[in-house]
Amino acid sequence: MSDLIYLYGIVPNHPGQNECPAFKGLDQTHEVYTLSYGTLAAVVCTLDGGEYSEEALKEKSNQMEWVQEKAFHHHEALLTIREALPVVPMKFCTIYASRSSLTEMIESHKEKLVDLLARLEDKEEWNLKIYCDTAKLKEEAEAHNLTIQAKRDEIATMSPGRQYLEKRKLDQVADEEVEKEKDAFCTDFHEELKAFCEDSTVKDTWNKQVTGKDVEMCWNSAYLLATQDVEQFLATITKMKEQSSPSGWQIEATGPWPAYHFANLS
Amino acid sequence: MSERNNYENKDIALIDILDTVLDKGVAIKGDILISIAGIDLVYLDLRVLISAVETLIQADENAAHSLSSEQFDSEKEELKHVTERS
Repeated sequence: MSDLIYLYGIVPNHPGQNECPAFKGLDQTHEVYTLSYGTLAAVVCTLDGGEYSEEALKEKSNQMEWVQEKAFHHHEALLTIREALPVVPMKFCTIYASRSSLTEMIESHKEKLVDLLARLEDKEEWNLKIYCDTAKLKEEAEAHNLTIQAKRDEIATMSPGRQYLEKRKLDQVADEEVEKEKDAFCTDFHEELKAFCEDSTVKDTWNKQVTGKDVEMCWNSAYLLATQDVEQFLATITKMKEQSSPSGWQIEATGPWPAYHFANLS
Repeated sequence: MSERNNYENKDIALIDILDTVLDKGVAIKGDILISIAGIDLVYLDLRVLISAVETLIQADENAAHSLSSEQFDSEKEELKHVTERS
């Protein structure tokens, strides 16, 4: 079986630019190299056609450990490339059967790839996650929220039977207030951060089973911003972290990432 | 110290990586098509796998403990006792 080509991403190809770093490819055997296409270059590695055939890959991709190891490699590779050059990152396991079909793909998307690389130059992607201690927020809401306080005063004047029912209702009100507060906190902060950014995207949050944390994830987003604005962006996050942690918020920022969320050809 | 140094190169959770490289990045059709289960499935499966291994190791340790020669001897003694009496 003939060899396959694994594509990590597309980088610019200009005289005098940084070299694309050298490292071992997905199979830990073949070296990563670049293929030139005018002002673009593809960062690729060779894969054995038998070992990585569609059928073999179907088998491998059912083994979670394989997926974990290779997805991690893909990410590390793109991080390494990103340190040297702007890069349009490909999705994990983008594989071509021949040089000619890779060429065909690049030629047909060339204009967009050139634009995208120009857009990503001197930009960084940063990700943000906000977690909250729901029980703590609820305590605070019950202590400070005027709606809840007024309701509690009203309940105190009722008969014992009514009080029981009304207390349960009040509990629901408190839950709703906490939800509102979470939403407001996250969207307000997101708006504040967006001011530094060229682009942003809001992602799905994950449940506790997936995060393995005892606090709840209530926000997940990604930002694309100019390298020169990163300091201010992060300073804003640090300040908010300090301000909000006593009330039960945990803010996590990670980056710089390859621009996975902002490299779109459609 | 710059803000950047406080955030850069921090340990990134595996799920973060899976979430982006399996789901995001430019999706141009390659010649080889594989479909990988949803990221939460991959991740949860991994965790189940890890905890299954942990349970196995623990079970092994427990088994090793309960089969200590001391215990074995005492059980043998008891058995002997019972058979002799009958």
